[in-house]
Amino acid sequence: MKLGARFKKEDGRLEKAARETQSAEVPEGLFKKCNMCKAPVYVEEVKENLYICPKCHGYFRMSAYKRIASVVEPGTFERWDEGLKTSNPLNYKGYEDKITALQEKTGLDEAVVTGTGLIGANKVVLAVCDGRFMMASMGHVVGEKITRAVERATEEKLPVIIFACSGGARMQEGIVSLMQMAKTSAALKRHSDAGNLYISVLTDPTTGGVTASFAMLGDIILAEPNALIGFAGPRVIEQTIGQKLPKGFQRAEFLLDHGFVDAIVKREEMHDTLKSILDMHRVDAIDLEEQTVRCEVKDTGMSAWDKVLISRKKDRPVGMDYIDNCFTDFIEFHGDRYFSDDHCIVGGIAYFKGMPVTVIAQCKGKTTKENVFRNFGMPSPDGYRKALRLMKQAEKFNRPVICFVDTPGAFCGLEAEERGQGEAIARNLYEMSGLKVPVFSLIIGEGGSGGALAMAVSDEVWMLENSVYSILSPEGYASILWKDSSLAKDAARVMKMTAKDLYEMKVVDGIIKEPEKFNDDSFYKVATQVKIAIEGFLYRQGKKSKEELLEARYERFRKF
Amino acid sequence: MIHKILIANRGEIAVRIIRACRELGIQSVAVYSEADKDALHAQLADEAVCIGPAASKDSYLNMENIISATINTGAEAIHPGFGFLSENQKFAKLCEECNITFIGPSSEIIRKMGNKTEARNTMIEAGVTVIPGWNQDVESVEEGKEIAAKLGYPVIVKAALGGGGKGMRVAMNEEEFENAYLTARKEAGAAFGDDSVYMEHFIEHPRHVEVQILADSYGNVVHLGERDCSIQRNHQKFIEEAPCKAISEELRKRMGEEAVKAAKAVGYENAGTIEFLLENEKDFYFMEMNTRIQVEHPVTEWITGVDLIKEQIKIASGEKLDFTQEEVKLEGHSIECRINAENPEKNFRPSPGKIENLYLPGGKGIRMDTAIYSGYEIPPYYDSMIAKLIVHGTTREEALRKMRSALGEVIIEGIDTNVDYLYEMISDMAEQEILGGES
Repeated sequence: MKLGARFKKEDGRLEKAARETQSAEVPEGLFKKCNMCKAPVYVEEVKENLYICPKCHGYFRMSAYKRIASVVEPGTFERWDEGLKTSNPLNYKGYEDKITALQEKTGLDEAVVTGTGLIGANKVVLAVCDGRFMMASMGHVVGEKITRAVERATEEKLPVIIFACSGGARMQEGIVSLMQMAKTSAALKRHSDAGNLYISVLTDPTTGGVTASFAMLGDIILAEPNALIGFAGPRVIEQTIGQKLPKGFQRAEFLLDHGFVDAIVKREEMHDTLKSILDMHRVDAIDLEEQTVRCEVKDTGMSAWDKVLISRKKDRPVGMDYIDNCFTDFIEFHGDRYFSDDHCIVGGIAYFKGMPVTVIAQCKGKTTKENVFRNFGMPSPDGYRKALRLMKQAEKFNRPVICFVDTPGAFCGLEAEERGQGEAIARNLYEMSGLKVPVFSLIIGEGGSGGALAMAVSDEVWMLENSVYSILSPEGYASILWKDSSLAKDAARVMKMTAKDLYEMKVVDGIIKEPEKFNDDSFYKVATQVKIAIEGFLYRQGKKSKEELLEARYERFRKF
Repeated sequence: MIHKILIANRGEIAVRIIRACRELGIQSVAVYSEADKDALHAQLADEAVCIGPAASKDSYLNMENIISATINTGAEAIHPGFGFLSENQKFAKLCEECNITFIGPSSEIIRKMGNKTEARNTMIEAGVTVIPGWNQDVESVEEGKEIAAKLGYPVIVKAALGGGGKGMRVAMNEEEFENAYLTARKEAGAAFGDDSVYMEHFIEHPRHVEVQILADSYGNVVHLGERDCSIQRNHQKFIEEAPCKAISEELRKRMGEEAVKAAKAVGYENAGTIEFLLENEKDFYFMEMNTRIQVEHPVTEWITGVDLIKEQIKIASGEKLDFTQEEVKLEGHSIECRINAENPEKNFRPSPGKIENLYLPGGKGIRMDTAIYSGYEIPPYYDSMIAKLIVHGTTREEALRKMRSALGEVIIEGIDTNVDYLYEMISDMAEQEILGGES
């Protein structure tokens, strides 16, 4: 019902003697327009909220000092190498004036701030680019400050964190700017060779020569959501190829999908994420206890084929279940740094009973949707390359590697062949045989051929009681040898693919007992057994020197 | 005096403020969401501006749009009512920066009193009695247990930025502590984006008594007696009365003086409420200060004869209080019931919908503050309170009888309400009052 028109409104007839009317007005700079959602936002609120738009949660760019304050413990930051003089190697007209003007305007001496500070209890070396200063392009001073900071970090054995944000090389300095790419990369190489951690954080925008040097060299590369990251700028690419670029092209999420970013981290979670990663790289190996798991397997009367069927059952716990239940504080790292992020292999770092470890699992899904996402547990070359990348990372930081194997086989498809499925598997066998840290593999379901072996060239390979491990699926075996895949049942029997057979053949070193039926309760018991097996393994391997470890691993496979 | 006020609120409080403006000869501007175009406040005001979609965050909490509506209509002041932006220091600050009078205290005071830890510290400094407690973030279960032992069980763990019962947990003993602590912390983080919690000794059967104060910009502060808000469900008040029957004249005087001391300590301006917890006939503790007009303000208006909304506007216009503490006389007894669109039989589930048939009571000593009308459709997006029934009698017994009688007349059809539930509650209270039992 409309009442509005019937109500009498105030006509001012009874208004008391008027005082001067006060007029409201919005002072300059109180609001600004959000670049992303275009809504007006209260600047104060944006500042308080880590420069995140309160309306659309889009990110405003952050100045170097604001950024430092958002990740470093208050009062712990100490600046390094202030006041280096910008050179003008090309005698570019007006360059000095421009620098002076920017120095006055921003209060910065150049486009990067370097120094040291604490994140949690971790002393780190920081370099943070500031886009207000010539879009943080890398000239001599930027390269020099970063190089000096990295060199000092190498000397003092400290981790480096660089927040990248840059338009690329600084054109005004010409070839000298190009040399900064080599210089910073070389300093990082020495830092890395000395076994130190470098975390690169990519913020909007990271492009050109910075992307093609220090920004992409992190042991761990994080990115802020929606940050533009690329070598050539999108406008340049569009003009060159004469095509419109797809939505989301060169954004952080695009890079994650294409395997170049380990994780996208929200600004409000950046401090805690950095702290967790740094903590995991600071904690040393801890003492574990000697553990033994009894490995006799009673004959339950099940045929090999029964076990094949059980190992493929839909409700069987998957790789993620083991990651969630056997470890704590798991941080997932994505991507192979070449082409893609294979969702079928999940890897990252976590604590095992307080000890940092690298965990890599082949993961099937639990629902059809999840299985499509995880490609039904069939890894692509990108997955194996990611696994290898994480193993190499583990080796650098002296972390044991724990693998969970569960695959019907490596993905059989056009794209997989195009990207070298065979090469990827071979490379893993090759590199794993020489990996200087203990490697443990547990087959939790299907151990399908080379696809499984690429994560099982380990010091010890264990199996769940009803899992299987074979050269080929019994269907394939029957089809090749007997030209009839329907004889799979018989094939399973002769192939010796059950845990018991393989234990007797010394292909596997241990067996974890399984319950009749998996539920929360019985899985908890299995996970407990798995933890005991891992602990025992780490105890045994921890006693060995690197040479002994590698020799034993070599012999383990040499004997066949 | 201010010429034009924008009311940044909805429902009965917006209507209440529009009426006060009209009595003062001030033009009123209502703001409304897309879901509220038929709401009474939007129709009653002299002007009305739509400020965004239905969701509160896009409309009644949309600071930018409210400020631009203020500027576009030429309003000079904003009355925030209660809830929404009424205790948002950022909004108050924004008004200050835009030369708009925020009808309430300064942003600085809102900030100070909004952080419970800081509020408590301020009060301790000013010599106001507070509950034995720990006024810093309790960082771990272990630390919490140590503190709890000192404070004495039972203890309550509360969100530092809390309100409305969220992020609050009681532990009766040490065994219960861990669970209480972790739950409170989790809720605090989820509800307020800050999981800081503090702790205090828990008074098992306290009375929530709050003292209304008014402070002008010349340093004059008066108190207007207390309100008893002990009847709550899930920490939400639903029956309030003034004065509190458990308070002697002497205690009232002490509490009033304590409230004035608290207000002066922070340099308070405008209407405010000091909440105390009453442990027994003589001990009371400062709990928090509400820096806004409150839902239950009419009971105070009725026993003191002061129009609090008009006083708020006058103070904001820079006028002096025109009465002194000595002139404040409490007369009779007043009770308020909050009528909600909810179903008490279905765990008080909100019940939005169209009001098909409406009859509201009237008569001597009966006041109905509401924004509903026949044919009005209650939107599902906002608080479920749709009306406040307030009565005044010479004695508590008369007030209870009057409330019971008035509730018995209320007819609201088309939606579920808690009217029958209130009727039962009030009947019990009246019975106890007559029989002299404890309530």
